[in-house]
Amino acid sequence: MDKAGAALGNIITMGTLAQRRQRTAILLLAPALLVLAAVILYPIASSIVLSLQDAQLSAGEIGAAWIGLENYRQLAEDDAFALALRNSAFFTVSEVLIVLLIALGVALLLNTHAGRNPVFTVILLVPWVIAPVANAVLWKWILHANYGALNALLSWLGLIDRYVNWLGAPGLALPMLLLADVWKSIPFIALLLLAGLQNIPATLYGAARIDGADGWQRFRHVTLPGMRTPLALAIVLQTIWSFKVFDLIFVMTRAGPADATLLLNYLAYRVSFSFLDFGYGAAIANVTFLIMFVLALAVIKVLKPGAPRAQGRV
Amino acid sequence: MAMLHRADARSARADVAPRQAETSRVRGPVRFLDDVLVRIALLVFVLWTLGPVVWMVVSSLLEQTALTSVPPDLSPSQFTLDNYRGVLATGGSLVPAFRNSLIVAFLTTGIALTLGSAAAYAIARLDVPGGDKLALMALATQMFPGIVIIIPLFIVLSRLGLIDTYAGLATVYLSFILPIVIWVLKGFFEAIPPDLEKAAAMDGASTWQTFTRIALPISLPPLFATGIFAFIESWNEFMFAIILTRVHTKTAPIAISEFAGQYQTQVGQMVAAATLASVPVILLAIVFRRYILMGFAEGAIKG
Repeated sequence: MDKAGAALGNIITMGTLAQRRQRTAILLLAPALLVLAAVILYPIASSIVLSLQDAQLSAGEIGAAWIGLENYRQLAEDDAFALALRNSAFFTVSEVLIVLLIALGVALLLNTHAGRNPVFTVILLVPWVIAPVANAVLWKWILHANYGALNALLSWLGLIDRYVNWLGAPGLALPMLLLADVWKSIPFIALLLLAGLQNIPATLYGAARIDGADGWQRFRHVTLPGMRTPLALAIVLQTIWSFKVFDLIFVMTRAGPADATLLLNYLAYRVSFSFLDFGYGAAIANVTFLIMFVLALAVIKVLKPGAPRAQGRV
Repeated sequence: MAMLHRADARSARADVAPRQAETSRVRGPVRFLDDVLVRIALLVFVLWTLGPVVWMVVSSLLEQTALTSVPPDLSPSQFTLDNYRGVLATGGSLVPAFRNSLIVAFLTTGIALTLGSAAAYAIARLDVPGGDKLALMALATQMFPGIVIIIPLFIVLSRLGLIDTYAGLATVYLSFILPIVIWVLKGFFEAIPPDLEKAAAMDGASTWQTFTRIALPISLPPLFATGIFAFIESWNEFMFAIILTRVHTKTAPIAISEFAGQYQTQVGQMVAAATLASVPVILLAIVFRRYILMGFAEGAIKG
């Protein structure tokens, strides 16, 4: 009887303890969740609703007439949207490829004996943390048509006869924005891939060497398979970031010349905050997200990150 | 965690080093050539990475006439602090913009750390049902382009009269900073051995007391690291700021973009302003690189 009573008492205190823990957990969690609901969930839902409305700002009032999918239908006939879509496709595909290739090279380089000096990691931090707007100003100055360092350098090397207006020529401006963004994007991806390289057990390389694999074969059959997860992560992240580029366009070209550097993200901004058509702007923003989402999903499907690998990680 | 793995990898590499030394004796010239190539590649890498920034800093220290001569005149007599005097002059927009950026960054970081550490602790330690999924979902929202959430938030903040206020901007900044803070701190709390907290619970401390008196104090380094990260993110943000600020709360990036638009002829001042905005974050990142890379490894590798 006494024993049973004690056991019961134990269960009750355990129960209340668990309950008290649960209550504390809710109290600790609630503020953050409320904020996130207000600044993420609500706007996402609201963006869908907005895109189904004719929500233009006029006379200080935002209209809200339901128009169904009219905003989305309008996209099909919008030349600016078609152009932004093409530009974004070019920008994103080029940037992902270039950044991944260079960053993989940098990661391999920093994984060599000489490259393991921590000073190189410090150097990598600089483009990564510099304010994007400073990055834009910096490249705007380097690419300056009359006094830019790039023109000075190329003509000193004898590669150009006369100075080029890099940001003023429709065919050149977007590749130049690409250059500026590639420069800033490499460090993070390189650090990510470097961490991946360092997770590949050295014993695998030893075994490959014993099997007579040369440098390329070791890279092809040990490094690349072992890097599947970091590579997939790098591609997904870089795709998202390429779609999000805004500061560079705003500072360097304002989408010009003749909309040559207009990307989807900037178009959504311009339609919403310059043309004050929030419904149509929201539709463009939602489509941009949808494209990003499908691309990211496709990368994950193809590369299957987290699939069984040679190395074990906690 | 990731640090440990790196250490593992390093010690493992040390094990195979003697064998490599043997082979290198056999293939000496090839090794030597490899080494030279690696060093050349490292030099190219350093020039490519630092060149543009060095040029920005050098340009900011040159007279306007030196910058606009072809080729630029780099003689010592041309170096000056005039560009900095120009941008920091009273009545200019840069000094108030820096103050605004500091206020918003501190406000955002403070709120994000307070709310984020509490939520992260609950998820890591207090058996919240679906807690891991919750943290992952918060992180996944970072996929949304900022433009998707800022259009509706702009409308709401206008109705509430919160456009061009610190509160409005800091609240919106929480949308991208809070999820990362929760995710990174969750990882750190999970990595702490639970013995201390168990002992505290045995001594009759409540869950709240265990959190505030035990878990938080021993997590000061990760809290600090996450704080630095949040501060830099907030300091650098541009798109939300250009949409949500007007006159009173204009942040440094906005003021700099105005320099770049307005005073295109004053290139020296334009790059001086950009340098001023970059120096604090670059210094922060270099001084606290251990913390930043730690948080980076936690967030990126596990995520």
